[in-house]
Amino acid sequence: MGPDVSWYIVTSAFLFATGALGVLLRRNPLIVLLSLEIMLNAANLALIGFARHLGDTAGQVFALAVMAVAASEVVVGLGLIVALNRNRLPLDVDRLSTLRG
Amino acid sequence: MIAASWITLLAPLGAAALITLGGTWITRRQAGYLATLSVLVSFVTALIAFFELLNEHPEERSHTSTLWTWLTAGDLQVGLRILVDPLSIFMMLVVSGVGFLIVAYSIGYMDGEDEERRFFAYMSLFVFSMLLLVQSGDLLILLAGWGLVGLCSYLLIGYYQERPEAIAAAKKAFIMNAFGDATMVLALFLVLQRLGTLEYGGVFAGIDGIGGWAITLISLGLLGGAVAKSAQIPLQTWLPDAMEGPTPVSALIHAATMVTAGVYMLVRLNPIFEQTPGIQKLAAGLGALTLLVAGLIALVQVDIKRVIAYSTMSQIGYMFVGAGMTAYPNAMFHLMTHAFFKALLFLGAGIVIHALLNEQDMRKMGGLGRTLPRTYAVMLVGALALAGIPPLSGFFSKDPLIASLLDAGGYGVLLWLACLVGTFLTGLYAFRLIFIVFGGEPSPYAREHLHRPGTTMPALWMAWTVGALAVLAAFGGWIQFSPFWTPITDFLEPVAAPGIEPSGMQELWTSILAVALGLAGILLAWAVFSARRVEVPRPAAIQRLLEEKFYFDTAYDYAFYRPASWIAAAAIRFVEGPIISGSIRELSEGTRLLATRVSGLETGLLRTYALALGGGAALLALVFLAVRA
Repeated sequence: MGPDVSWYIVTSAFLFATGALGVLLRRNPLIVLLSLEIMLNAANLALIGFARHLGDTAGQVFALAVMAVAASEVVVGLGLIVALNRNRLPLDVDRLSTLRG
Repeated sequence: MIAASWITLLAPLGAAALITLGGTWITRRQAGYLATLSVLVSFVTALIAFFELLNEHPEERSHTSTLWTWLTAGDLQVGLRILVDPLSIFMMLVVSGVGFLIVAYSIGYMDGEDEERRFFAYMSLFVFSMLLLVQSGDLLILLAGWGLVGLCSYLLIGYYQERPEAIAAAKKAFIMNAFGDATMVLALFLVLQRLGTLEYGGVFAGIDGIGGWAITLISLGLLGGAVAKSAQIPLQTWLPDAMEGPTPVSALIHAATMVTAGVYMLVRLNPIFEQTPGIQKLAAGLGALTLLVAGLIALVQVDIKRVIAYSTMSQIGYMFVGAGMTAYPNAMFHLMTHAFFKALLFLGAGIVIHALLNEQDMRKMGGLGRTLPRTYAVMLVGALALAGIPPLSGFFSKDPLIASLLDAGGYGVLLWLACLVGTFLTGLYAFRLIFIVFGGEPSPYAREHLHRPGTTMPALWMAWTVGALAVLAAFGGWIQFSPFWTPITDFLEPVAAPGIEPSGMQELWTSILAVALGLAGILLAWAVFSARRVEVPRPAAIQRLLEEKFYFDTAYDYAFYRPASWIAAAAIRFVEGPIISGSIRELSEGTRLLATRVSGLETGLLRTYALALGGGAALLALVFLAVRA
């Protein structure tokens, strides 16, 4: 038996907060994508921790599904960033504000 | 007999449907022939039914027939039920007989109009409605017929759609009649609530159990319908305006049949009205008032058709007096002779109007007696019959009606006096028309515009129908000469037994007085309007009072129309403007303001959205936890 489930949760919460801060504070879209990945993986960690604690494999299946979705999302996100770069648009999320009301 | 009665009822409806559906497949003239033929079929079948009825014992002459159940509501079932009894047969004969002559006349009169098919479809529909009204065996069917004749009269008065006055007159007639329909409907609701049935038999059987204020209201409501339909005071103002319609319409609807529907109802529903003698006296009083007022107004009218229209109101006033004072057979007899001579007068006036190229103003007429001698002769017959001069039909019907009033006590004597004054007025206004239009030298207008009716087909149709009516107006009254022979009174006895009957002496003296007064009226008319031209004092105030029709229209204008338009204007100013339009404007402005505020939240910055999402989720989680705890 490894460490208690609470360690996993605390680690997961720390990673999630780090990712969330990164999404909110950083301006480079590449870093924002990385932070998003961190958040997703924090969630995966929590799922797996609970799955192990409760002896239920459903959490692991969920984690696999999240990984698949995350991979697709990264593909789309990187594609967008490449498209931005090609069009010589600034790689700064604060300056991409054409949806201002 | 039942089958014949159904054919009588449905033949004109079939013609109306055929003409409407046939469209241009039916030529204009065929439409006229079709309508005429259908009404002739009605008349012939009504005759067959009449003779079959005559073969039966007088006590058994009442048959009902239900085609199907028309509507069911709870315990109430109303079938399409007709009643065949002496009274309805009598009315069927008058309506289809006189109606046939008038529709046949229309073939000539309407020749060359643009929309003859529409006209004849309406005419057939009208005859059907009127037959439905008189043949109904149920108060609801009566009401249906009542409403349908109102509709047809609206359609026919407004036949010349391009004339604003015709449309206004049509609307006026419809609204006035709708008022009467409404009071009738209220009365029927009360009957239904008290008795649970609207069928004549059931209603008459249970009516004396109602009593109290309910029966008074029922009678009053029914009387309202009769007064509106028969153009009696205070709902009379629509009839003179209704002369905007084509002349055969004036003859058919506004003289011979529709306006007498009120009299028919007073007689048909006599078991109801007899429960409330006060309302009957009211009906008679209104009739007497109308016959005097209309007779006076007719003295100053200048439109030839309006004179005859006021005369119609006046004559129906006589019938109301008779029906109100329970002299039912006399009222019905006068209804019949009136249909003959009034249709004759209208159709004769139609020939005059045609000959003068649609001129109706009597001031432009004059001296037509020489150029239109045959028209002059038939109009003279009609006017003499109207004035009640023997041996023409009006004498036989009007005088017994007046004489019977003497049998009704003090109030009856009062009405008797009013009726006698009325006969004087009748002679005066009838012969004022005759002398102005036909007497003297031809007027300049007449000399210039007269075109003599030739022997073309349309002129012949007009001529033979008017001739037939002239024969009826002259000799139709000989059917009954009370007290010597009284077949009509005997025939109607099982349905409407008279409550008052004059003695022989009363009849004699009344007849002498009435004829003398009628002759005096004619003499005065001759003195004033013919060769002598005696100057009579015409006080300006009275002249004006009569020309303004006793200010009824003006009074209604002030009492109803003006307040209504004031209320409407006030509603526009104080409700429509500030509240309805204002609220809509403010709602839209408020929405726009809110939208600009809300759009400020859309910063376009991804992080604010993410923060809002995350913050919202966190808030929800907190709320969830707080509720759990």
